[in-house]
Amino acid sequence: MIIESRLKKVLKAGHFAVTAECGPPKGADPDVIRNKGNLLKGYVDSINVTDNQTGVVRLSSLAACAILREQGLDAVLQMVTRDRNRIALQSDVLGASALGIRNILCLSGDHQSLGNQEEAKGVFDVDSMQLLQIVRQMRDKGLILGGDQLSSTPELFIGAVENPFGDPQSYRVKRLAKKIKAGAEFIQTQCVYNLPRFKEFMGQVADAGLTERVFLLGGVTPLKSARMAEYMKNNVAGMDVPDGIIERMKGTAAKEQRQEGIRIAVETIQALREIKGVSGVHIMAIEWEEAVPEIVEKAGLMPRPEV
Amino acid sequence: MITAERKPLSEIRASIGPYKKVLMVGCGTCVAECAAGGEKEVALLASQLRLMAAKEGREIELKELTIDRQCIYEFIDQVTPVVDKYDVILSLGCGAGVQAMAEVLPKIHIIPALNTTGLAETKEQGLWLEDCRGCGDCKLDRFADVCPITRCAKSLFNGPCGGSKEGRCEVDPDTPCAWQAIVTRLEETGRLDSMDDIEPPANWAKTQGKGPRKIVREDQRT
Amino acid sequence: MGRPFFMVARMKDTNQSNENVAIFFCRQIDSDQDAHRRSLERERGSRIRFYPLPCTGRVEALHFLKALEAGANKVYLVMCPPGVCRYGQGNTRARKRLEYAKGLIREAGYSDECLEVVSAPGPLPVSIDGIARQLLDRAEVDLPVRPA
Repeated sequence: MIIESRLKKVLKAGHFAVTAECGPPKGADPDVIRNKGNLLKGYVDSINVTDNQTGVVRLSSLAACAILREQGLDAVLQMVTRDRNRIALQSDVLGASALGIRNILCLSGDHQSLGNQEEAKGVFDVDSMQLLQIVRQMRDKGLILGGDQLSSTPELFIGAVENPFGDPQSYRVKRLAKKIKAGAEFIQTQCVYNLPRFKEFMGQVADAGLTERVFLLGGVTPLKSARMAEYMKNNVAGMDVPDGIIERMKGTAAKEQRQEGIRIAVETIQALREIKGVSGVHIMAIEWEEAVPEIVEKAGLMPRPEV
Repeated sequence: MITAERKPLSEIRASIGPYKKVLMVGCGTCVAECAAGGEKEVALLASQLRLMAAKEGREIELKELTIDRQCIYEFIDQVTPVVDKYDVILSLGCGAGVQAMAEVLPKIHIIPALNTTGLAETKEQGLWLEDCRGCGDCKLDRFADVCPITRCAKSLFNGPCGGSKEGRCEVDPDTPCAWQAIVTRLEETGRLDSMDDIEPPANWAKTQGKGPRKIVREDQRT
Repeated sequence: MGRPFFMVARMKDTNQSNENVAIFFCRQIDSDQDAHRRSLERERGSRIRFYPLPCTGRVEALHFLKALEAGANKVYLVMCPPGVCRYGQGNTRARKRLEYAKGLIREAGYSDECLEVVSAPGPLPVSIDGIARQLLDRAEVDLPVRPA
């Protein structure tokens, strides 16, 4: 049976793609993954599994993706360079492909000092840019670093992240260009709350001729509360949450705030669909995967296309 | 210089244990520069140890001696004539100094009083910033003379991560983002295009090698 | 922990006090400090030690620790009032070094109250004798216990 990346097929067919993030548990129970998979089935094209996000030990992304694969779902393996050297990374790339995982997202990862294993040695043998090159070379040339030939090549749709709101601002578009040069075929961005600023960024991306060369999915995170909005504004690096959004959440009664958060998410998605160069949405509903079906439906993205 | 910081007094005291006659050896080079192990610091530590002993009703005999460099055997030899009078040496040298002394004086127990950290510049008086991790493969010119291995928390080689905020590192707001510094310097000197190329993975074999690295210069040997 | 050996209540007659006091002070406070020190030095003998400095900015943490090692129960640093330091930053620097010394003293297991900084009352010059007597007159508790 030939397994193909659904995400790649949807994007190449010109549809507006939908991906969602699934956070693995801090435990060994595979049913947690299966339940999240069942929740999202049919509502998204592909499911990202984070890789020990924020340096907190969780069920491994590779294992979780394999579990989703067993359920017939298309998974995006997030792979950080913080925890593994080039031997382990290249090995896991082969392993992922062998398990039928068809998408990979290459990232550096949050620094280990931010999580629950502060004393761990951060590996960072390679960075995300180099990892993109490595995976691309393994897939397209069947070569690993150092030049040895693989006996069979992995099949993976290769992605990277970009943060349009991170500093240095002046460098963000160039960095995106570099990721594409390194081998990225799709990009998932940090979550967007500041639409005017995002539009401006996408304008620059288009001017640089990059929209034809990569599929870009805008990130959306539904807000659960006004406090969450404030936390994201003040405590999360590289996040731009406009005061208007904070005011809107604050102005809503506490028990209505989740619905307001969903409303904002839906509006953001609808706006993203209108921006040139945005090929899809990546919904990161952190520990709130249940909200995804509602958001996808209300944003008018159902049913998902047949490819 | 090589930088170090003095260990907490309680740790030093615990390491000295029951020893009564302690020879304290300072170093006049790097650790004197960063005010951790020079003559003054030896005097301060000696004073603290005496006060501590007085409080505990214990006897302690401390001899203070600072040599130019603790990593050169010829200087360590100044210690040789007096070492037999003492039970233990408390070294305020860097890790290399402690070990060199142990090579010259293997029969006496040598305790390190410092935690050696790294290679740093004196940014201003009283402020030392780590600059170099001794990777053994210097490519500073490719990064506008800002070391990405040392000064980027994730040792990234191809630009900043998404956590860079207003020139600060996501890990510690007091730490400048190395990549912001690199990008700014390149922008100011019209060299930003040099970052378009992808820097390949580093050769960490030059850093870790096959265990401890050594340098051999036959032309310098007798 | 038992009562300290030397307990000094508020008293007028400083001859009764058994504490050993060290006073570091800036010479700019009292140009005649040499003469003004004499009477207290006669009264208290080795129980008082004066350390005149060309500027408190020249004091180092080691000086304070050495004074304690020499037997002082209480060490004072008397500085010129804020803004009046003849050399600009001397008294600011001195304060930092005193704080550092306090940390070292705490680390060694002593109460850092044995070290205290005071500003001389302005306007200068002021007699060091007057300042010293005021300091000695204060209630003292929790002195570091000195072995017999």
